Order: sequence, then C-alpha cells, then structure tokens
Amino acid sequence: MKLTIPGLGRWSVPLVVAIVVLAVLPQVGMPRAWITYLFQFFMILTVANIWSLHAGRSGMITLCLAGFIGLGGYTMTIGSYFGIPIPLGIVLGGVIAAVFAFLVFFPVYRLKGVYFAIATLVLPQILQYVFLIWDPVGIPLIGGGAGYTVIGGTLFSRIDVYWMALAVAALSMIVILVVSKSKLGLGLAAIRDNDNAAASSGVDVFRLKLYSFVIGAFVVGLAGGVLYLRSQYIQPITAFSIGWQMTAILAAVIGGLRIQGGPIVGAIILTFLHFWLAGYPGYSMLIQGIILVVIMLTVPQGIAGGIGRLRGTRVHRTALQLATGIADRIRGKDNV
Amino acid sequence: MIDISSLAGPLVNGILWGGLFALIGMGLSLVFGVMNLINVAHGDLVILATYFAFFLSTGLFMRYNLPFDMDPILSLVIIIPVMFGLGYAIQKFLMSRAFKVSAEAPLIIAFGISLIIQNVALRFWTPMSRSLTPPYVLDAFVIGPLRIRVVYVIAFVAALIIVFLLREFLRRTYLGRAISATAQNKSAAHLMGVNTGRVYAFAFAISMAVAAVAGVCLGLIFSFTPEKGIQFLIIAFGVVIIGGLGSMVGTLLGGIIMGLVMTFGGLIDTNWQMLLVYLVVIVVLAARPQGILGR
Repeated sequence: MKLTIPGLGRWSVPLVVAIVVLAVLPQVGMPRAWITYLFQFFMILTVANIWSLHAGRSGMITLCLAGFIGLGGYTMTIGSYFGIPIPLGIVLGGVIAAVFAFLVFFPVYRLKGVYFAIATLVLPQILQYVFLIWDPVGIPLIGGGAGYTVIGGTLFSRIDVYWMALAVAALSMIVILVVSKSKLGLGLAAIRDNDNAAASSGVDVFRLKLYSFVIGAFVVGLAGGVLYLRSQYIQPITAFSIGWQMTAILAAVIGGLRIQGGPIVGAIILTFLHFWLAGYPGYSMLIQGIILVVIMLTVPQGIAGGIGRLRGTRVHRTALQLATGIADRIRGKDNV
Repeated sequence: MIDISSLAGPLVNGILWGGLFALIGMGLSLVFGVMNLINVAHGDLVILATYFAFFLSTGLFMRYNLPFDMDPILSLVIIIPVMFGLGYAIQKFLMSRAFKVSAEAPLIIAFGISLIIQNVALRFWTPMSRSLTPPYVLDAFVIGPLRIRVVYVIAFVAALIIVFLLREFLRRTYLGRAISATAQNKSAAHLMGVNTGRVYAFAFAISMAVAAVAGVCLGLIFSFTPEKGIQFLIIAFGVVIIGGLGSMVGTLLGGIIMGLVMTFGGLIDTNWQMLLVYLVVIVVLAARPQGILGR
C-alpha cells in the first residue's frame, strides 16, 4: 500500500513524519533554546519557500515579502485592540495580505523584469509610511511611529507560538509541493521558461501568476502574524523593513532557488548562521551577504542543487579518482 | 490657508533638491541604460561615498597632527577615483559573471552588494544618523523673504556640470560613443569591434564616479544612516522613470519633479513627504513605465 497524500507524492511520508516529530518535540523535554532555533527556522523556511515559489517557479522577482509580513503582523495586532481573537487575527492577516496582493497585482503585472521588481520593492515602503500616518486604534501615545503592543499576546506561551510557526511552515511546504505537482506548477514552469511560448500554448499567464502571488501573500501574511505574536510589539520601521526579504533571498538562493528542497537546505544553513554568528554582531549580515554573492557566482543552483549536480562532473570524478587512488595505495601498502 | 509667498521657499528648494536627485538618478540611469540592470545597490553605494566623505572630513587629518580638516567637497579628489575603481571592480569581477549565470542573477548579486555595503557601514560608522558639517553648511543667500542655502546651490550646480560633462563625454569621446552604441544594440556594437565587456566596466565605473559626487552632495543636504540607501534608490528610480532612459535633460527634469514632490509634501509633514514620493513613483510606473518624457 502506498502511503501518499494526493498532490504530495513521495514527499508525503517524510513531510508528515517531520511535522509530527517537530510538533511533539517540545512536549518531550526539548531544550528551551531549541524552541527559539526552530521557530527561527520555521519563519525562514516559510519566506524562503514563498520566495522560491515567486522567483524560482513563477519567474516573478518579487521584493515585497516584507509588506505581507507587516500587513499580517499589523492585522493581528490591531485586531487584538478590537477584540478579535489572536488566532483569528493571524488568519485575517493572511487574508488581508492576500487581498492587498490581489489589488496591487493588476497595476504591477503589466511591468516586466526589473520594472516589476522595483515596483514590488516600493510597496512595503508605501505601507510603512501608511502605518506611520494611519492610527486606527486612536489611543494616545501609541500607534504611528511608536508602534503597538499586542493585547492579550502574553496568554500564548512560547510553545503555542512554536506550534503556530510549525503550522505555517508546514503550510508553506504543502503549498510548494502541491503547486509543483499540479497543473498550476506546470503552467508556472512554462511561464518561467518562456512566457510568450506558454501564452501561445494556451496557458493563462496572468491568472497563474496572480494565483502564485496571492497564495504566497496569504502564507507570508500568516507568518507575519505569528512573528509579531512572538515579539508582542510591532512598529512600522521594523515591520516593513527589507530584512525578511533579504532573508528569503538568502535562504532560497543559498539552498537552491529551483531545486526541490532547496529552501529547506537554505533555511537550515541560515538558521545555523543566524545563531552561530549572533556572537559577532555587525558581522552576521555582512558574512551572509558575502556568502550570497559567492554562492550565486560559483554554484548558482545553490547548495542543494550543487550537491545534486556533482554526480558525473569533474569534481565528482576527481573526488572519485582521489578516493580510489588512496584506496589503491592503502591496498598496495597492504600487499607490501 | 497657505499664502502664496510661503510657497516660494518649497518651490525654490524643490528645484535645487532636484539637482541632487538627478545626480543620484544619473548613475542609476547610466547602468540601467547600458546593461539593462537596475543596480539595487546604487543607493547604498551613494551612501558609501557619503560615508567616505564623512570619514575624510571629520578629524581624520587632525588625528595625524595636521591643523585642518579636509573639506567634503575637496575630498571628492580622493572619493571619485576610489568609487570609480570600486565600480570597475564590481562590474569586472562580479556583475560580468552574474550576467552569464541567469537573468535574475545580477539583481540578486546587486542585493548581496547592498547587504554587504550596509553592514560594512554599520560596522564602521554605527547606525547613528550623521551629516557632513563643513563651516558653510548653514550659510544661505537671502533674497527678499527667501533663504537659499549655499549647499543646495552647490548640489544643483554640480548636477548641471555633471549633466553637461556626461553629455559631452557620451557624444564626443570614443568611449562615450562606444557606451551609447552598446546601450542601443550590444551585439551590433560587438560586431563593430567594441569591447563590450570593457564598455560595461567603464559604464559602471562612471556611474560610481557620479555616485561619489551625489554622495557628497547628499551628505551636505540630508542626514544619513547606513539604512537610507533604499530610500534614495527609490527616489533615483523615480527620477529615471519620470525622465526616461538615455535623456540627461529628462533626468534633470525628473529630479526637479521629485524634489518638488518632496518639498511640497514636506508642507504636510515628514511622513507624508516620503509617502507622496513613493506614490508618485508607483503611479508613474503603473501608468507609463517607459517614462513621462521617455522614448
């Protein structure tokens, strides 16, 4: 009997096992620090997955993930002032981010290549100033540049937030896998490779790109809600800063933009770097930037892709010869 | 009610700020026009030049018992060659390879460079807000009710000079014509014996030399932090799309329009100022991506 979930294929078993193990871990005495590490990993994995969905699979270099994160966070936070339960607020955050994505997609879609990228880069900046000016809560001394604290956010323990982050990361994995197996993914791949050829073969380029953009916005919006439930405090400068966009690019490119599982590898590496380099403030992002440039120039298919492609290449053959050479020498010595 | 005379200040200042924005936009436009790459690190590279000027003009020379500080404008003698070399190196060693990798690789590399520069600046100069403060920074010409700051005029004159120089360079010298030819049709230029690789490197280097001038002017007019790069990148992009590619006069006009949006937006408050600037960029982009004055 094959244990597969429709649309997930051979990934379904490892995915389900991983989710169950990660969900149970905090209950069986995982060190507290690991909750922090894994939370960070889930968030990085989510944004990396969605960015690889946009840039790697749909051929859209989007630079507005920070906008969706901020919208998700703000919806959840502002909702908490109006009595909306926080889990509902997080879902609503995803919805608002998706609606925003839907609305801006119409003007932005007409733009090609770099124009598209820059237009999406401007969106979070606009939102940042909107939230600096707009104060829907209207309580003195908070709101605007001063930011908001989440009302009732402390009712959720670190483990609750961990589970939410796990759920969002799992959703992002499922989205990536289902999309890549479905007709949507096939159409997107065709668009990415040659959008004119795809359009003339009857692929609805606009609609598929719209789906990819809006689905991505929804998932990242959820991530934003979870992220700011954890930090308990949101302000426009950080909520819409380019940081998470950078993280998404770093993880997706380092792992492998177009490789199945590339974002996982990238997210693991980035989480490791994040905490390992935390002792060297000021150098952490610098080193990550250098790694990004080096990886892009030397192994553009990313670490995961690089390992996959090593088979049959000169490096692989050299390594093989070296290994057999050493083995021969050892054998030779044995003979003597 | 705002009376008319109070609008004269923002009008004049907006036009003068336009010079600075045109300067930043010109560097971006040159690289964009020649290699069809939006250098998303351009804002950060401009800010890097500003920090070089800050470094040279605040006590560096006094530390070695010299009785003077270097003037920020004079420091361009050092900063322009440094930025020129940096630009040449970035194109030669990073971008030229990135172009061969894939379509999105140069953009991602530019992002990496932006990340690196921001963090180098954070490391050396802290996230504190700084400004260049030569003795004349607050001096102003007084014409009737108007106070026009000297540094605004300096930036505007610098922009006019650079526009003129760049235009003459692109029209009259071999390298300039080679750059124009490569921008129009790379493979045709290559077939005519133009070394397009070198043309790219020189275009990037010249863009950085312009960015050096822009950086110093920026530091004289605005305060800056290592994270301001993206703000000026978007303004510069707005300048380029309003002015259209390949038109120096258009770039100057684009700069002036952005300057006016900024000063008149500033009449409401500082948040509206930037919001309006970004909205103008996105509206122009959505309505006429080829630029208002573009071909």
